Amino acid sequence: MRILRLARVLAALLRVALMNAAAWRASFLVELLVGASSSVGVVLPLFFVYQHAEQVAGWALPEALMVTAFFLLLQGLVGLLIEPNLSAVVEGVRTGALDYTVLKPVDAMLVSSLQRVAPAKAWDVLAGMGLLAWSAAQLPAPGPGGVILAALLFLAGLLAVYAIWILVICTSFWFVRVDNLRFLLGAALDAGRWPVDVYKGWLRLLLTVVVPVALVTSFPVLALRGEADATMLIQAFGASALLLLAARRTWLAALRHYTSASS
Amino acid sequence: MIDVHELSKTYRVPVKEPGLAGSLRSLLRRQTRDVQAVAQVSFRIEQGERVGFLGPNGAGKTTTLKMLAGLLHPSSGRVEVLGLRPQDRPTELLRQITLVMGQKQQLLWDLPPTETFELNRAMFDLDRAEWRRTLDELIEMLSLQALLDKPVRNLSLGERMKCELCAALLHRPRVLFLDEPTIGLDVEMQAQVRRFIAQVNEAMGATVILTSHYMQDIAALTPRLLIIDQGRLRYDGPRDALAQRIAPERRISVRGSHPALVERGFREEQGRMVADVPTGGANRVLAEVLGLLPEAELGVEEIPLDEVMARYFRARP
Repeated sequence: MRILRLARVLAALLRVALMNAAAWRASFLVELLVGASSSVGVVLPLFFVYQHAEQVAGWALPEALMVTAFFLLLQGLVGLLIEPNLSAVVEGVRTGALDYTVLKPVDAMLVSSLQRVAPAKAWDVLAGMGLLAWSAAQLPAPGPGGVILAALLFLAGLLAVYAIWILVICTSFWFVRVDNLRFLLGAALDAGRWPVDVYKGWLRLLLTVVVPVALVTSFPVLALRGEADATMLIQAFGASALLLLAARRTWLAALRHYTSASS
Repeated sequence: MIDVHELSKTYRVPVKEPGLAGSLRSLLRRQTRDVQAVAQVSFRIEQGERVGFLGPNGAGKTTTLKMLAGLLHPSSGRVEVLGLRPQDRPTELLRQITLVMGQKQQLLWDLPPTETFELNRAMFDLDRAEWRRTLDELIEMLSLQALLDKPVRNLSLGERMKCELCAALLHRPRVLFLDEPTIGLDVEMQAQVRRFIAQVNEAMGATVILTSHYMQDIAALTPRLLIIDQGRLRYDGPRDALAQRIAPERRISVRGSHPALVERGFREEQGRMVADVPTGGANRVLAEVLGLLPEAELGVEEIPLDEVMARYFRARP
């Protein structure tokens, strides 16, 4: 019953977010164009690199393309659903517009993290799905277990990224202007477009543990190659559960700190 | 209904020296100081009451209101609204209260107001038929019909406030917190908003707690006053009793300019001669004036509330 109600609220929010995005026709169209060209921009560098090498860090082109495909999916979903809300919440804390969200009888964390969408980013999702299908066709077909494992790893990674995003949003309750953190996080996510083995040492640790973007992009490919197992899955869900818990607690603490900009 | 006991709120605010050097220094080492916005305030409000919070800017009115609504966590003390702690934001409470702020808005800026109404229906989980009934009622009371399909950004300030009120009342709240709901509105729109609030109080039996800088709002709407100054509650009681205590005189005005009245204590004010006389002495003064100027056009009234308040705050320790 509660889930159903939540789904209705999310559907209503999505509806409004889409209408908001479409309210400015020219901007909507330009964003669609920019979105399409940026998807192409993600794929091109890979072809340049693989002109000079058969393999990079043990990854052949179709596999690397598959990592890119998961990266596009991630970038698309983050850009579509998560990122526009960061600026909305930061702005809400600064201007006090968050007051009205906090006063609604629904979960304020969910509402404030899903109140805006950027439909142009759907290109990345579409491009990611297309690229995933194409690169999968170049590689030996994985077993059904591998596919399920890959999907679950991707989901765990997405949840982890969502939690990290909430943590970033929370900092704005204390420091108010945190727009720059968005770029930092964007840069960290960007590193996920390359197979994780390209990175060595602390950088690799950073991308698998601190900002576990490799979880979303490289690990599902490992699963499809048959190189992942249930342990990896348990670790992935464990990590994202911990991150979600931390995000939730921080959010509740942040609300206690909310000073509701004066009117 | 609303029970507030020794409520306090302290803010920690950054302190910055003036100028660029000061900004750079505070970038390196941030200094803060504690500001007590509300100090040990206690009061009770019963169901259906209409109460006005009054006080100068920065007195702590809005902070108190926000603690009552659950937006701010008290630093100490206790608040209960409808038997629940607002800072816990229990769903049961959020469904029964509403907050309208004259300087902030919940309406979706680029969309027609109906979309906000629709979104609130989902957020408050309202039954569609019931929501429709309330909406129709509010549209009628606020004359919103012509505004419903215009994007909010194209509405005037007054039109927007009417739509804000509609959005805030769709769930038929039992408690209305209104923070300067008439700010910036023209005289006619202010009157409309006031009439509407009184109507809601009567028709829905809702408790109204209002802050405003416009004394007309207070005079028209709230028989009970809470005066907050420097974070402390200075007065809690009937508006009329306060007026009687601070300004017990009657104001006698005579239309036109009559220099002969000056030596009888009258002053000239906007084309009228005006004198404030003790209540008991008004008849004597009236008789005198009529004796002097048999044709004079006379008026007797109470001292306006904004003047009462100005006197109150001038006389404070």
